[in-house]
Amino acid sequence: MDLGISAFVIFFAAIFTNNILLTNFLGMCSFLAISREVRSSIGLGLAVVFVMTWTSAINYIVYYYILEPFNLVHFRFIVFIIVIAAFVQLVEMVIERYSPVLYVILGVFLPLITVNCAILGVCLFMIIREYTFLQSVAYGAGGGIGWMLAIVAMGGIRQRLAKAPIPKPLEGPGITLIIAGLMALAFIGFGGMIQIQ
Amino acid sequence: MAGKGARKLFIKGLWEDNPVFRQILGICSALAVTNLLENTLIMGLSLIFVTSLSNVTVSILRQVTPSRIRMMVQTLIIASYVIIVDILLKAYLPDISEALGPYVGLIITNCIIMGRCEAFARSNPVWPSFLDGLASGLGYALVLLTVAFFRELLGFGSVFNIPVLPAEWTRWTIMVMPPGAFFMLGIVIWLVRSLGPKPAPKADARG
Amino acid sequence: MIGKRAFSVAYMLLLTLGFTSAVTLVYGVNEERIERNARLKLQKIVLDVLNVPVPFPSQPLNVIEVFEDRVRIHILNGQPIYMALSEDRRDIQGYAFRMSGAGVWGPIHGMMAVSRDLDRVLGVAFLDHSETPGLGGRISEEGFRNQFKGQPLPPARIKDATYFRVHPQATVRSPNEIDAITGATGTSNAVERMVNGALNRYLPFLAKLRLEQEELTP
Repeated sequence: MDLGISAFVIFFAAIFTNNILLTNFLGMCSFLAISREVRSSIGLGLAVVFVMTWTSAINYIVYYYILEPFNLVHFRFIVFIIVIAAFVQLVEMVIERYSPVLYVILGVFLPLITVNCAILGVCLFMIIREYTFLQSVAYGAGGGIGWMLAIVAMGGIRQRLAKAPIPKPLEGPGITLIIAGLMALAFIGFGGMIQIQ
Repeated sequence: MAGKGARKLFIKGLWEDNPVFRQILGICSALAVTNLLENTLIMGLSLIFVTSLSNVTVSILRQVTPSRIRMMVQTLIIASYVIIVDILLKAYLPDISEALGPYVGLIITNCIIMGRCEAFARSNPVWPSFLDGLASGLGYALVLLTVAFFRELLGFGSVFNIPVLPAEWTRWTIMVMPPGAFFMLGIVIWLVRSLGPKPAPKADARG
Repeated sequence: MIGKRAFSVAYMLLLTLGFTSAVTLVYGVNEERIERNARLKLQKIVLDVLNVPVPFPSQPLNVIEVFEDRVRIHILNGQPIYMALSEDRRDIQGYAFRMSGAGVWGPIHGMMAVSRDLDRVLGVAFLDHSETPGLGGRISEEGFRNQFKGQPLPPARIKDATYFRVHPQATVRSPNEIDAITGATGTSNAVERMVNGALNRYLPFLAKLRLEQEELTP
């Protein structure tokens, strides 16, 4: 069912108004763990953007050209995860072989991504929302960039906070969640910017 | 396994090593489904089911599974149980299945399950693994129910869909929207951590 | 080394085979039930929006019985229109049709019914949606849906008419204004678009269908 929403709009919505981390809560574990500083946040963020965009494209094809025609739809969880894991392995091998520099920046994060619920979540959502191929890729790319935006912003904030007098029980995940709440609140303000329909 | 040992395991899973507020795992769904107690309960039960059974299966296979591929094996096992839960929900509780939507599928990536398989089940016998899974799942469910209790109460004025607060009371709708989830969980973690630091690890650490 | 590799691959394949068989088994056993649930849900909703009473709604057989007794299906452009027979079975009591739209989180699918003379809304219901549970998800609740029940529909059929408007809670004044759900503005607006879109699409056809049927009944 083509809802007639422009892929461009979906792309922007995934970054701002329907940010997959601040609105759909996807990818929290690595978000809480890695967002201590900007550099690692950028690294992980870039890796997520790359993997998310490609796996939404691949999983779209797998779902609509393999699973559905053969009535294997209820296996989508297993198949999607295998595709994601395989893709990440492949990327890791390629990067390690051809670009040691890139490997140093991104490589460490790749195993983390396989269990990042954001990647699987994006694939599941694009099926539920019955997006077309172009919309799915736009959603994957936008979702990744939105996630990266959130984690880099959080990294910047936490770097500043490192010197602030935070009560001990609140340090770490506690304050990160509260900051995330404030960010989510702020992002709601973007709601009027995009009419998703 | 003696009753005392079992109880110790349970308390560990519920408090000391609580997956949510100590280990900070399984946060995605903790935030997503906790705006209604009913959905939270089903999600919690589903997770307990998947965690205990995955732990048991990983434990049964622990001596045969080659170390290199153990993560893939664990993922396969977890994904299979999640699919089974999804099918059963669709067949017997269709309304709730719809309400939980994609978050049932996301149990697969819930770090708690993989975490317990890696940390405990792959090097421990079956019965303790089962208890460990049960305890972690229970610890998760209890935290989520607490968060959901406050979110539903303040945001909708109800508990398990039964209106509790008077109609004149202004609803804090923000509590059932994403920011409320973040704040509530942050506050719960803050409170719990203030109540006492994690006890020092004992010499005879299990698993 | 090769021995180990081969074992790993074989092991993985065997395990995959084993688990997918188990899942397929569970699915096979429950497949029919899942389909039955979906069909039953549709029938229940159709009967509900058309205001056809079901004596024992919790008993599937009763629902199916009433459905087959009181509802007739007419295909229009590949889409089914459900017509409820009146109690004496001699006339149509109402028409129900599907409505769909893009919600905040995914497509919303629902049903809407209008009275025989196309002058009132009999009811609306939602088949599925992916809106936020407890917020946008509350459109399925009776309180929200009942706002549409009995609302008048103007006879003039202008193109792209706005039959209903969604307003912030407690500011509603006229009969064709609907209370939005606080905190679910996106979803409430989506419902507005869906309802108006469906009415605009189906009312002209239903008017023609009605004329044809009136010529048939004495």
